[in-house]
Amino acid sequence: MYAALTKYRHVFLVGLQSNLIYRWNFLIRGFFSLARLAVVFILWGAAYAGVARIGGYSIGQTFTYFTALIALQFMIGAFNEDYQIGEEIRNGLINQFLLKPINYYLYRFTVFLAARVVSGVLVFIPLLLIYPLIRAHLTFPAESWRLLLGVPALLLAAMIQFTLAYCFGLLAFWFLEIQGFVILSYAAETLLSGQIFPLDLLPPMLFKAAQLLPFYYMMYFPAAIFTGRLGFEAALPGIALQLVWVGLFALIARGLWLAGLRKHTAVGG
Amino acid sequence: MSFRQYLNIWLACLRYSLVRTMMFRFDFFLWAAVELAWMGVNVLLVEVIYRHTASVAGWGKYEMLLLVGTSMLIQRLLMGFFWSNLFEMGRNVRTGYFDFYLAQPGNPLFMISTRKLDPDSLINTFVAASVIFYAAHRLGLHPGITGVLLYLLLVACGVVIHYSLFLLTTSTTFWIIKTEGIEGSYFSVVDFSRLPREAFRGFANVLLVYLLPAVVVSNVPANALIHGFQPGYAVWLLAVSAAWLALAVFVFNRGLKRYASASS
Repeated sequence: MYAALTKYRHVFLVGLQSNLIYRWNFLIRGFFSLARLAVVFILWGAAYAGVARIGGYSIGQTFTYFTALIALQFMIGAFNEDYQIGEEIRNGLINQFLLKPINYYLYRFTVFLAARVVSGVLVFIPLLLIYPLIRAHLTFPAESWRLLLGVPALLLAAMIQFTLAYCFGLLAFWFLEIQGFVILSYAAETLLSGQIFPLDLLPPMLFKAAQLLPFYYMMYFPAAIFTGRLGFEAALPGIALQLVWVGLFALIARGLWLAGLRKHTAVGG
Repeated sequence: MSFRQYLNIWLACLRYSLVRTMMFRFDFFLWAAVELAWMGVNVLLVEVIYRHTASVAGWGKYEMLLLVGTSMLIQRLLMGFFWSNLFEMGRNVRTGYFDFYLAQPGNPLFMISTRKLDPDSLINTFVAASVIFYAAHRLGLHPGITGVLLYLLLVACGVVIHYSLFLLTTSTTFWIIKTEGIEGSYFSVVDFSRLPREAFRGFANVLLVYLLPAVVVSNVPANALIHGFQPGYAVWLLAVSAAWLALAVFVFNRGLKRYASASS
C-alpha cells in the first residue's frame, strides 16, 4: 500500500513539473476566460435591466455563479486529457505502461490532478487582478455546510470529468481520429453542465431531465452548492448520485480498457 | 496573373475541397454536427434569457435571434472559406512548409487564403440563414430585394472584418514562432458580436464598439434588416472593414519580409 502511494506520489510530482512547463498556456487561457466573463457581465447586465430577479436570483448571484464557473473550470475541468490518452494509444507510448506494475487509469488520474493543481492555482492570477472591478457584484452565501459538502462535490465532479475524458481517449483503440467525438460531446457538456446559463433557468421539465444526465454533476452541481443556487436537501442526494456516476463511468472505462487491449497491436512502441 | 486565372485557381481549389469531403464523408457529417450543436447552444441561450425578461438593451427576442443568426452566418462564412487556410498558415510558417506557397506564381496572400474550403461550415450557413429567416418572419419584416442585397453586402463586410482580425492574429507567427492557442484571442473578440451594441457601456463601449470592430460587425447588418437601411451605419461598417483589411494586409506583408524559412 505504502509502496503504491510512493509510486503515484512520484507520478504526481513529475506531473506537476511537466504541467508547470505549460504555465503560460494556462495563464493565457485564464486571461481569455476574462473576455468570456465580460460577455456574461454585459449580456446578463442588460437582461437584468428592469427586472430585479431572474429565476429567483439577483444580478449579483448570477455574476457570482459565472465567476465561480471560471475558477472551477481550471480546478476540475478535463482540458485535453482525452486527446493525450488517444495520442499515447495511437503512437504506441502506452506500451511502456503495459509492461510496468502501474495502473494506467490511476497513473493518468494522478497526472490530471497535478495538472489541475497547476491550472487551478494559476487561474487566480487573472481573477485576483480583476477582483477590485467585480468585487461589488459578488455575493457568496455564508452557510458553512456549503463548504463542507462543496469540497467533496468538487472532487467527485473532477473524477466524473476525468473518467469521461478517459473513456473518450480509449476510443483511440478503435478510431484513428477522436477529436470530432470529443468536440461534439464538449458542446453537450458545456450546455448541460450549466456553462452557458445556470441550468435552473430552464423550464422545470428540462431542468429535471438535465439532472438525470452526468453533465449536471460535472460542473453545475458543485458550482450551485458554492454559489447558493441549491439547498441542503438537494446537496446530499446529489453527492450520492455523483458517486453512482463515478462508479458507472469507471466500469465503462474498465470495459473499454480490457476490450481495447485485446485489439491493441502495439504499433510504434 | 489575371482575374480569370485567379478564378480558375479558386475553382480548382473548390473542386479539390469537394472531392476531399466526399472521401471523408463521416468527418463531414461529424463536423457539420459539431457546428450545428454550437449554433443550437447559442439559440437556446436566447430562448432561456427571454423566458425571464422581455428585452435585452432594448432588443426583443426575435430581434436578438436575428442578431445571433447574423453573427453565426458571418462566422460560418469565415470558417467555410478561410479558417483552415489561415489556421494552417501559422503551422506552415513554423515548419517551413510555407515555402510552398511562396514558390507559386500567384499573390501569396491569395494562395494561402483560398487553398481549402470547408463544406461542413458552408452547409451550416443554410442553418444560420434559416434562423435569420425565421426571426425576420416573426418580426414581420419584408425587406424586399434591395433590402436583402444591402444586408448581404453588410454581411460581406462582416466577413472581411473577421478575415482581417484572424489574419492579424495568425500573422503574429512571423514574429512569435510559438503561437498555439493564439486563435483563442480571435474567438474572444467574436463572442462579443452576439451582443446588442446598446448593452455596452463605458470602457467596454469605447474598446469593443469603437476601437475593435467586435460589435459593429453583426449589429450593423442586423440593424439594417430590422430598422431599415441607415447610410451612416453602412458607411461606418464599410470604412471599418476597409481599414482593418488594410492593416491586416500591411502586417502580413511586413511579416512576409521577416520570413526566413525553417531549417528542418
